Amino acid sequence: MGDHCEQTMRNLSGYIDRELSDADVRQVKAHLDDCPPCDKVFEFQAEMKRLVRKECCTDDAPARLREWVRQLATEKPKPAG
Amino acid sequence: MSSDFSLFERHVDALYRSALRLTRKPEDAEDLVQETYLRAYRYRNRFKPGTNEKAWLFTIMTNVFRNRLRQRPAPEDPIDAPGTDFSIYDQLRREGMPVHLMSPEEIIVDRGFGDEVKHALEELPIPMRMVVVLVDVEDFSYKEVASILGIKIGTVMSRLHRGRQALQKKLWEYSGRPKARPVAVGAH
Repeated sequence: MGDHCEQTMRNLSGYIDRELSDADVRQVKAHLDDCPPCDKVFEFQAEMKRLVRKECCTDDAPARLREWVRQLATEKPKPAG
Repeated sequence: MSSDFSLFERHVDALYRSALRLTRKPEDAEDLVQETYLRAYRYRNRFKPGTNEKAWLFTIMTNVFRNRLRQRPAPEDPIDAPGTDFSIYDQLRREGMPVHLMSPEEIIVDRGFGDEVKHALEELPIPMRMVVVLVDVEDFSYKEVASILGIKIGTVMSRLHRGRQALQKKLWEYSGRPKARPVAVGAH
């Protein structure tokens, strides 16, 4: 594993989370284009993040809770329960 | 005032699903969201218009949640756990799986990761779980998470890193368990 690989792996979370500076993004992107093994790791970790989001976004608030909040927004709050 | 407060109403699903990951129980999640909204309503004049109302609501909710934990500590929750250096990808590669020839979707489907993501997430220690939920599910930036939880950005990053590794480790453990198979009726 070369220096570029190690540096890219250190920056991978920041890259996936869009937290890197433009200069660092360019550096990571250039390395991933050149290095298929690192690119596969990137693809997998990015897919894991998408998976967590997809699986956890399926629980919507129950209708009665939604209605309770709607009432709070439009009138005086009633005791919770 | 009602028009101001209706700005907060749209985040009820996000608050609820996160509350569910934190409390693990639908009735506790509902109660947590209600208390969050009651406080938001009570302190609505403290909200600065034009700032991120979703982050404001999550700040309230995580504070309420942490206060409740202090009052009723859950014995099964470790306060924090040591880092587990783990990645599913590396593990599969070590086991000789041709991961470099597979798409990430193929790897995930092949091992049946997916079904148990929520369960795995709910087993993470709470400090890590909060950060993973806020970043990966709710899409807050590291800076926003630092502000919501009142911690440093470096702490957000280390908890996120350890949390994601721990999540993958849990998923790995689940996927190794024997799965219930349908009984083959009438099979020859």
